[in-house]
Amino acid sequence: MTDMLSVKGGTKIFYRGTQDERRALDGLDVTLKSGDFCIVIGSNGAGKSSFLNAVSGKLPLDSGKISIDGQDVTRLNAHRRAQFIARVFQDPMIGTAPTMTIGENMLLAELRGKPRGFSYGLTAARRARYSEQLAELNLGLENRLDMQVGLLSGGQRQSLSLVMAVSTHPKLLLLDEHTAALDPRTAKLVMDTTVRAVDQLKLTTMMVTHNMEHAINYGNRIIMMDAGKVLVDIGPEEKRGITVPDLIDRFHTKSDAIALQGA
Amino acid sequence: MLDVFNSFYGLIPVTIAQSLIVSFVVLGVMLPFRILNFPDLTSEGAFPLGGCVCGTLIAAGVNPFLAVFVALLCGFAAGCTTAFIHLRFKINTLLAGILVMTMLYSINLRIMGRTNIPLFTYDTTFTLLAGPAANFAWVKIAIVGTLIALVVAAMLYFFMSEKGTSMRAVGASPDMAEAQGINVSTATIIGVGAASALSATGGSIMVQTQGFADVNMGFGILINGLAALIIGEAITGRQTILRQVLAPVVGSLIYYQLISFCLTLGLAPADLKFATGAFVLLMLALPNLRKSGGGSQIREKIRE
Repeated sequence: MTDMLSVKGGTKIFYRGTQDERRALDGLDVTLKSGDFCIVIGSNGAGKSSFLNAVSGKLPLDSGKISIDGQDVTRLNAHRRAQFIARVFQDPMIGTAPTMTIGENMLLAELRGKPRGFSYGLTAARRARYSEQLAELNLGLENRLDMQVGLLSGGQRQSLSLVMAVSTHPKLLLLDEHTAALDPRTAKLVMDTTVRAVDQLKLTTMMVTHNMEHAINYGNRIIMMDAGKVLVDIGPEEKRGITVPDLIDRFHTKSDAIALQGA
Repeated sequence: MLDVFNSFYGLIPVTIAQSLIVSFVVLGVMLPFRILNFPDLTSEGAFPLGGCVCGTLIAAGVNPFLAVFVALLCGFAAGCTTAFIHLRFKINTLLAGILVMTMLYSINLRIMGRTNIPLFTYDTTFTLLAGPAANFAWVKIAIVGTLIALVVAAMLYFFMSEKGTSMRAVGASPDMAEAQGINVSTATIIGVGAASALSATGGSIMVQTQGFADVNMGFGILINGLAALIIGEAITGRQTILRQVLAPVVGSLIYYQLISFCLTLGLAPADLKFATGAFVLLMLALPNLRKSGGGSQIREKIRE
């Protein structure tokens, strides 16, 4: 199997050379195989968000190399990398365009990374296709293509955001705590939809979460981050049957060991 | 009272012609403000820029149509500059607009070489199109009205096209737009540039109808444009892109009739800017006033 994502020596330092200097990413090495569903966990400030933003291109690296499906993307801006990457944000207000209609949002997603022309956007053929894609959510959105997205609930917007992300079969799907802002029932609904889509389309996925249950129950790999590095990398074999206490245990043993080494 | 009504009635065609011309500016205010979420003041400088460029070129014997086109391009450049200053140097959009607007005043003076150029004796696009009839208000209304209808139709089509949809996404949610592969900086620069191009076009048409170009002609145009936009949106709403694109024209038509009515009623022209400013303030403050209105109701209940 080929490597879909490879980060080598990824380093990002904020406020370099001042007292507040902070290593957000410190020689990060991560490789995702095609079809991996990788959960990224770690405490606040561990570098999870920096990792995700570095991959999406929002945060340019100080040094290191990022390739997607064998292609070096280190120097590509976020909007250029969008041809490979789809992203679902934590905040339902950010991941969609609230003042535009459901159909228009779907159009924006469909043309991600493709040239956009002066031809009419929401053609009848596209509307039919979007209705079909949205029908799979069972939320009734397929009949509301002309409704403004801002009028939807948070859960509906995250579901829409997810459909928008996966509809283009991206090489890499980035999920940034995308259920964190939802109530538990809606979160489960969105999570189920996520898993269904990822399985069906065999998407290489990276999901940042604070939810240990999610980390245990979903995906085939767990990466635990600390201080801008990968602290623990749990592969498919080991991940089966792992429990929350196991996970927390491994995290503490490892970080204690590092603390001792430092002392 | 009948006198007042008669003089107002007599002014209606002239006022319509004027409001159609200013519609360009109102469209130029609407585009950054509502579509790109980029509050922009460049119009205040782009409007006289268009006028000065067009006036100077016409006085130099250049074809008036070409003069309008050059004015449009100059306006585009001015808008692009504002957007660039904001994006590159992270300067607040309003401040960037004020900087460009202020510098444009000197540029406008340099372009004209003096503060005022009379154009009465030259051919304009209107005299070329309508001959001696060019001075009739209804002729101006027909010509400018056709043009503004074409511009509105073109904008409507653009904002429903693939490219236009992505430009709207930049204003609606820049993070989302970027994640969908849209170049936010390019879209912003082109959008703000196009808006100032519209304002400059308005200025170039204005000098041809009023018969002179003046370096001070833009003073207060932005607030007029904003007032017209707010009135227009109150009438058409903003739910669809059609309504959003129609609002500037509808608002401009009504706003200038209101102004004309106030003036014939005896409002001193000197007080006009204050009245307009107070009106815009009131409209912007209204949502908050309503809220505190609710508060006073509660207070009354407590008193009871």
